[in-house]
Amino acid sequence: MRPRGRSVDLNFYAQLLLNGIVIGVIYALIAMGLSLIFGVLEIVNFAHGEFYMLGAMCAYFLTVNWGFGYWPAVLIVTAVAISLGCVLYEALLGSLRGESFERSILLTLGLSMVLQNGAVFLFTTTPKMMATGLSYSNIIVGELRLPLSRLYALGLGLAAFAALYLTLYRTRVGKAMRGVAQNRDAALMVGIDPRAVSRLAVAIGIGLSGLAGAALAPVYAVHPLMGFSFVFKAFAIIIIGGLGNVSGAAIAAVMLGILESLVGGFLPLVMVDALAFISMIAVLLLRPQGLFGRGVRV
Amino acid sequence: MNAISVRALAFVIGLMVLFAIPKLTGNEYVLALGISFAALSVLSGGLNLVYGYTGLLSFAQVGFFGIGSYTAALLVTEQNWSLWSGVAAGGALATAVGMVIGYSSLRLSRHAFAIVSLSFALLCMIVARDWVSLTRGAMGIPGLPAPTINLPGGMRWRIAQPADFYYLLLGFAVFAHALIYGVVTSRLGRAMRAIKLNEPLAQSQGINPLAYKLLAIALSALLAGMVGGLFVFYLTIVDPSIFDFYYTETMLIMVIIGGPGSFWGVLASSAVLTAVPDLLRFTTDLRMVLYGVVLIAAMLLFPGGLGGWLHRRRVARWRQPRVAP
Amino acid sequence: MFNMRLTVAAAAFVALAATGIAQAQTGSIIIGASTPLTGGVAHFGQHARWGAELAVAEANAKGGALGRKIEIDFQDNRCNPAEGVKSVTQMLSEKKYAAIFDGLCSSVALAIMPLIERAGVPFIVANASATSIAERSGVGGNKWTFKVNPTDASMLDALVGWLDKEGKAANIAFLGEDTDFGRAGSSGLEAALKKRNQKLVMVDFFQKGTADFTPVLTKIKARKPALLALYAIDADFQNTIRQWHGLGGGVPLTGRVLVDQVPKEIMASGFLDGTTSVQPYDPSVDTPANKTFVEAFTKKYNVAPMLISFESYETINILIDAIRRSGNASPAAIRDALATTKYRSILGTELEFDANNLVHNNAIIFAIKGGKVVIIGMSKT
Repeated sequence: MRPRGRSVDLNFYAQLLLNGIVIGVIYALIAMGLSLIFGVLEIVNFAHGEFYMLGAMCAYFLTVNWGFGYWPAVLIVTAVAISLGCVLYEALLGSLRGESFERSILLTLGLSMVLQNGAVFLFTTTPKMMATGLSYSNIIVGELRLPLSRLYALGLGLAAFAALYLTLYRTRVGKAMRGVAQNRDAALMVGIDPRAVSRLAVAIGIGLSGLAGAALAPVYAVHPLMGFSFVFKAFAIIIIGGLGNVSGAAIAAVMLGILESLVGGFLPLVMVDALAFISMIAVLLLRPQGLFGRGVRV
Repeated sequence: MNAISVRALAFVIGLMVLFAIPKLTGNEYVLALGISFAALSVLSGGLNLVYGYTGLLSFAQVGFFGIGSYTAALLVTEQNWSLWSGVAAGGALATAVGMVIGYSSLRLSRHAFAIVSLSFALLCMIVARDWVSLTRGAMGIPGLPAPTINLPGGMRWRIAQPADFYYLLLGFAVFAHALIYGVVTSRLGRAMRAIKLNEPLAQSQGINPLAYKLLAIALSALLAGMVGGLFVFYLTIVDPSIFDFYYTETMLIMVIIGGPGSFWGVLASSAVLTAVPDLLRFTTDLRMVLYGVVLIAAMLLFPGGLGGWLHRRRVARWRQPRVAP
Repeated sequence: MFNMRLTVAAAAFVALAATGIAQAQTGSIIIGASTPLTGGVAHFGQHARWGAELAVAEANAKGGALGRKIEIDFQDNRCNPAEGVKSVTQMLSEKKYAAIFDGLCSSVALAIMPLIERAGVPFIVANASATSIAERSGVGGNKWTFKVNPTDASMLDALVGWLDKEGKAANIAFLGEDTDFGRAGSSGLEAALKKRNQKLVMVDFFQKGTADFTPVLTKIKARKPALLALYAIDADFQNTIRQWHGLGGGVPLTGRVLVDQVPKEIMASGFLDGTTSVQPYDPSVDTPANKTFVEAFTKKYNVAPMLISFESYETINILIDAIRRSGNASPAAIRDALATTKYRSILGTELEFDANNLVHNNAIIFAIKGGKVVIIGMSKT
């Protein structure tokens, strides 16, 4: 059943591992923002996947219809997504307070229905393929292959993680964010404005989602339903990583990506789809605080 | 006649009219809407019990609905079980699954329950599509036979016409809502509400929150599973789209508009939301956009829904000083 | 209080529904259609609608049927049997529809069949693929259901027959979506291969909407099959084809490959040379009638027609032909006229319904050679 020969075997595993790392970093891009928003606001953003979809749509139109290059498109989309995040906070999420977990889910579910069905209405469900020179170039080392567009997505994902880490641990505003996540009232008492901090967290979270969309527009087909399947997986990831724990979510995302790829190399593909949910339920039963501990450490 | 007996009379007349509809009109579409209403109202009523009264946001209703449907369809077609035993088995399995999900996730938090219930619903879809030897996969189980029920007195009722299904589902819906009504107006319902309002306080009064939460989940799962088992025989086919996320969205909208924790409000919104979009022939794309807008608006402006609004109005009326004319 | 309102609402309801009943025999002849206009396969529902509406518009430009105008009403069914049943029940209860069209998804079509049989209205299926639809229709079954598109089994038999002649029917791997389309593909291929003492060397299914196929494609590549039978459509097809290219798959494809939707860069690179595919339709088929259809469709909707649009177009044409021959456009007369259909397909062959009310149009076998799609044969299904 399996490929014969030691070198073939090694190549096979190496290729699976490489694919898995890329998939994991892609998951991390989406899950980190979701986790950050939960950590600071205790809100589960159901519409997170729709912002990823909108980012990808936006990048598609920028490059295909308006002739922008890949990198300018990534920058523009990220900037737009950050501003959208501010608007989202001011218009909707800012009004939720305290014990509003269920309300936040319903509110963002409503938003997701509006964005997703609105996108179907405006753009139809016809898949769009962003075809640039980038789409069909590959890096080939020995038997290993990595499309250039995936390498870029990988680089952007790692850069985003580094930037987020530095912001949270090396800047005043990042420390304020962690302060609010740990204890909202105490943060207020030492003079931190929780609204400003929450707004920033939502802006960064949505910004990351938009970045993910732009980075992945040349990798995956772009269509209105593309965010829907991702967001459920991202929920599982932030629970596995520990709700509100951003680094935990990033590590859990990469682990899940690698695990999915390795499992997919041997078992039926549907097992891969069920893997995230089954791991999540297992983690909840065995280690409810998540693999890397719960939300106090953003 | 006092106010209570007027209400009871109106209720009885309303029920009689509902049951007389097949005699009043031969229009099958009216019956189809009635059947849809019966099924959806049981689902939203169960969700109301879990979310509206007990405060647990659940995405699992559609999973219970589908599990009941598949169980009944498979047992009746492959094991020659009777309709009632198939439906009862479907309800029992849904209840058992609901207890497992509830017990395992509620030990942690309400939040964990919401997310686990969501994953459960998605897993159900995967199982229905891909465990082909059990569920026959995407093709589903077509051509479900018209079931026959043994009535007391040796009569047999072959349920083949839409009117038969209308009586069957409406009858079941009345039973289900009576059960829910019984629960929410009893001591059980008050305990559930107390848990929703303030769990630590309820606990200090000697209420075991986990037991009441599990009871709400179990009852909603039982009713959803059973109504699913009845509904698919009307469709004559069960396939993985019985787990469509769209049902979940519809149920949530019904509960939110009707008012979480309002028995009559949710029943009314279920009726209106079953009939209105169909009668107006809304484009479904825009219908879902509109539902989303309604959900957002309700969350921001009237978290109490219709029921909450009526309740506030009634309270305001009580508070008005009564001046003799 | 509240129950009073409910009663009033119920009464209003009955009144509303009653107004729709029974339009007179004059006026337009109306076809009722139920198809997914929202949800995951709305894209195909849209094409089904376009194809059907083009056929109706063309017929009306030639004076309609029996001196009356033809109309077609569309209702959404989300590819969900419950919605399908509701939409068709509504149309049937209005009693003004001469025939019901499609459903698009097999499960929806199967759920519609008992309804139209009870109501005595012909139901004509253009796109749903399940073999069980035809198995339950015609002599000894549902006499009101007619299916125009060929079943997968017969098309795949034609394809495998051709592959076998070329000595290429061995060592085929299968990857398909876990829907009725994909499942019918794998069982159809298994059956066709079994006749020739071969079998699929590996079979894998994916969920619709999967974005990343690299795990399974890496597995397939390492298994080194001679051909990969691919049953993916829409975004899934674009994702698989691009990722297969990215991984340097190195194995040609077969099955129901959407050769007209392969990105042109991949096509031109010669990466897919050696690929074979079977489809009931391709816009490039060289008949005058097809050229006219492709031109009219593209002009009207700004996109090229695809399989779904073609099947809907032909099906509605067959239906209109039957309405014209029915004499009075009553459902029963249309049913009888459908049963005696002799219709010239725009692909050139003459179509009739068999004992199972199923049409056997030709399937087209394609190959990709030197970065170009060529039609290598038409085969009876």
